[in-house]
Amino acid sequence: MDGPQDLGGKESFGPIEVDAPDYREDWEARQWALSKLSSAPGVTIDWFRHGIETMAPSVYLSVPYFQKWNVNNLALAVDAGQFTLEECVAGHAAERAAPAPVLSKDDLEEMQRGMAADFSRPVEAPPGFAVGDQVRTEARLRPGHSRLPGYARGAEGVITAHHGAHLFADEGARGLHVAEHLYTVEFRAGDLWADAEGPDDTVCIDLWEPYLERP
Amino acid sequence: MPSFDTKKIGEIHRELHSHLPSDPALRVKALESLLVEKGLVAQESIDNWIEMYAERIGPKRGAQVIARAWCDPDYYARLMEDAGQAIKDFGYEGHATEHLKAVQNTAFVHNLVVCTLCSCYPFSVLGMSPIWYRSAAYRARAVKEPRAVLAEFGVTLPEAVKVRVWDSTAELRYLVVPERPRGTEGWSEAQLAAIITRDSMIGTQRDLSLEPA
Repeated sequence: MDGPQDLGGKESFGPIEVDAPDYREDWEARQWALSKLSSAPGVTIDWFRHGIETMAPSVYLSVPYFQKWNVNNLALAVDAGQFTLEECVAGHAAERAAPAPVLSKDDLEEMQRGMAADFSRPVEAPPGFAVGDQVRTEARLRPGHSRLPGYARGAEGVITAHHGAHLFADEGARGLHVAEHLYTVEFRAGDLWADAEGPDDTVCIDLWEPYLERP
Repeated sequence: MPSFDTKKIGEIHRELHSHLPSDPALRVKALESLLVEKGLVAQESIDNWIEMYAERIGPKRGAQVIARAWCDPDYYARLMEDAGQAIKDFGYEGHATEHLKAVQNTAFVHNLVVCTLCSCYPFSVLGMSPIWYRSAAYRARAVKEPRAVLAEFGVTLPEAVKVRVWDSTAELRYLVVPERPRGTEGWSEAQLAAIITRDSMIGTQRDLSLEPA
């Protein structure tokens, strides 16, 4: 979707705060913990990202990063029937359940290690492209979640790697587990931007086969 | 189960935006209270996660991996072949590193990592991302004007050095391998790891100092 998340190449954001700390406020570290320790049932990584993309652009661009995660955690829980909207607004559960077991730092370090997730899947279909092939990305915008950035729509590049098939993000955001061949495509900056600062610099983007066609 | 319905989740976002307190600290408190009261997460686990993360997960991990690659040609070859596997020698696998790819800076190529669509980052080897990495300015500008961005970080690239920007759009994550500085011949892995910075592994720093970071 053409949401506020698609920031590549957008202008007038000004200088980068190169000396900013990892967190500005204590609640940001806390929100990071909450997001990693819980998830509404059935939520895929792609549905999580898509949820954030549906925020109003004016809100998305004006609130701190982890505030987006916070409201998205609440929204996904309401959507999945885990929380009600009233509970979110009240800031308390309508009914209390037995407390969850306490996890030690060692338990949590092990949990973090267990978060390594393999997104590759076997597929029957052979890859449509090979390393060295010239490809063009589709120019039309797909509905729903997509990981083809706007700045690289309708652009020509070269396949520099084939990663086998990985779960396709567009389908993951629909709750479906469908694998498609995944490639790294390298684009010349001069082919992406009319005013590229270094035309022979390149941008490499990981793209699934449905986004690609032969030029 | 989730609805997986774009319109519905957008509507819930709008409702929450209109009805939640505007202070983000209160919103985070609301989420925390709900998770604790519903028996989904224990309060102490939240505190323990924050401490565990600050103490044990961070860019020192990536620095150790790169220091070993500089010292051990076999390990270097394995890192370049499959970094997600190579970091398992240290037990550093975890969140967002299963499909880790190492990209090597050379005299002619400088690598820079970004995620324009969200803020994907190899958390298990680099820890929490810096605020600037998650900022709209970095995400917007790194792909279009990487040289101007690098200049803001104090990096001036000769024209002969090509910039290769990696936009992390799928589940691959990127780790920049900086060039080993001259004058470090004979150094131990621990000495080398001490001079490898987080920014050099993202690509917003190029030349490493011989002083510990």
